[in-house]
Amino acid sequence: MSATPLHDLWEASASQPFQPTFSKDSQFQIGFTLLFIGLLLTGLFGLNNTLKNVPLYGVPASLAFG
Amino acid sequence: MRLIQWASLGLISLVAADSNLTLESRNILPSTFKPPQHFQNVNLVRNINLEKNYVRETVNVVIENVGKEAQSEYFLPFEPGTIARIGGLEARDKKDPEKGGFVAEVAVTDEQSSTQFYKITLPTPLQPKGQLTLSISYWTLASLNPLPAQIGQTDKQYVLYTFSAYAPSAYLTQKQKTKLKLPTTDVPDAVTLPKSLNTEGKEDPQKQGTSFTYGPYSEIEAGALQEVSVRYEFTKPLTHSKLLERDVEVSHWGGNVAFEERHWLTNRAASLKNHFSRVAYQQSAYYNPPMAALKELRFPLAIGSEDPYFIDDIGNVSTSRFRTNMREANLELKPRYPVFGGWNYSFRVGWNGDLSGYVRRLKTGSDGFVLKVPFLDGPKQVEGIEYERVVTRVILPEGAINVHFETTIPLISNTTSLHRTFMDTLGRTTLELTAINVVDELRDRELVVMYDYPFSARFRKPLTIFGGILLVFVVSWVVGNLDVSIGSKVKAA
Repeated sequence: MSATPLHDLWEASASQPFQPTFSKDSQFQIGFTLLFIGLLLTGLFGLNNTLKNVPLYGVPASLAFG
Repeated sequence: MRLIQWASLGLISLVAADSNLTLESRNILPSTFKPPQHFQNVNLVRNINLEKNYVRETVNVVIENVGKEAQSEYFLPFEPGTIARIGGLEARDKKDPEKGGFVAEVAVTDEQSSTQFYKITLPTPLQPKGQLTLSISYWTLASLNPLPAQIGQTDKQYVLYTFSAYAPSAYLTQKQKTKLKLPTTDVPDAVTLPKSLNTEGKEDPQKQGTSFTYGPYSEIEAGALQEVSVRYEFTKPLTHSKLLERDVEVSHWGGNVAFEERHWLTNRAASLKNHFSRVAYQQSAYYNPPMAALKELRFPLAIGSEDPYFIDDIGNVSTSRFRTNMREANLELKPRYPVFGGWNYSFRVGWNGDLSGYVRRLKTGSDGFVLKVPFLDGPKQVEGIEYERVVTRVILPEGAINVHFETTIPLISNTTSLHRTFMDTLGRTTLELTAINVVDELRDRELVVMYDYPFSARFRKPLTIFGGILLVFVVSWVVGNLDVSIGSKVKAA
């Protein structure tokens, strides 16, 4: 056990750098697409405001916004 | 929230004005404390480096246990008032530097006016008659004072440094010597000591280029002091940072680490004798003479840093350059005005980095991560910068748990709390570390933080937003289908 255990951990995981789920370059496209889908579904829901359409449009729209 | 921030900043500055001592973790000794005379300094060589605007002292001393029992506590005395300006004290075995530093901690007496001590604990007690070569190094901040205290705008600046020709020690010193390393040969005043004190019968100081030597002296009693001073040319800013707040914000979704530093700088250099003359300043800009004013700050950032900003109380400061390529990322800032002696300048700089360069996934378990960032970045100046107080905050993602950290910078406090910002549900886990009396030579020191970031925590925010928006849909359906018409009910067909 050396005096710098955390530093050793850092060295030990040298082969595993953090990989983000989405790269910084694609963040805008993904974000824009999801928001666009969300807005579109919200619009459709607004046109036909029925209980049936809550799960049909609302759930995917909410997922997209989230 | 803002109010609390202001209040805390006020408190910090109050405390800082009082002296850094109030916040030191300390071992209280009785006011009549005298270190037991178990040790003797056989040979002591002290090097004082005055090339920067803070003073670095390195004491190499051969200590011998003259007691009858094995001893492990060596005390290092400091004048009243100076201990609060001592930073980065490290002690190690000179013959075995690989072994790492010894534990050195402040041990003060409860009376502010008496001599204060640092206690160095040897890892293995020194046997009677045993000898050990200690190498002790530390910085003293704010110890150079301009004399004259007021100069013209383009004049040379001279600073006065007062110290003891006898190395302060709590033990009898058989043989000792103090060497000064000055930045220049322009030394108008240096206190001379009579030949009778010197063992070799020479008049002190003995000059050799830019180095001055006091000593050797023999058989100096414990606590003996011989005040001397040197005055030398130092036409450079005495940049002093009263407070540096640094934020490191980690975003796993964004794959980004955001750095921000908020500096409160002051220049301890000689103040201006007359009003500031813009004409004289512009004229001097062509031949760029040495000046006691702070004109430029250079931040060598990690390669790959991007999106830097430099703002102060007024707004964006446009006099900055960012040179970035495959080999370097240098941020060069010019303050909004040249900071002359006694003037202040506060600003904030920030930049982004790619998270993959700073965070690694641990091999054990899928949720463990380890982060490595510099404890402080700050400017790197030829003449140096001293920091009275550095507060580094590491803001981890929401839901990060089991936070452990490690750094070689001596800290005075660490806390883990929650930092709440936009769209947060619980608040982000924040590690706040405070260090005092730091200098820019420590800017390469790393801070390693290990934390767990569970899979569930990663999806907490999207799911919360999902739930909220779904609720909006449901409410809109309920409201949209309410029958609010006036008149008799019409049966739906």
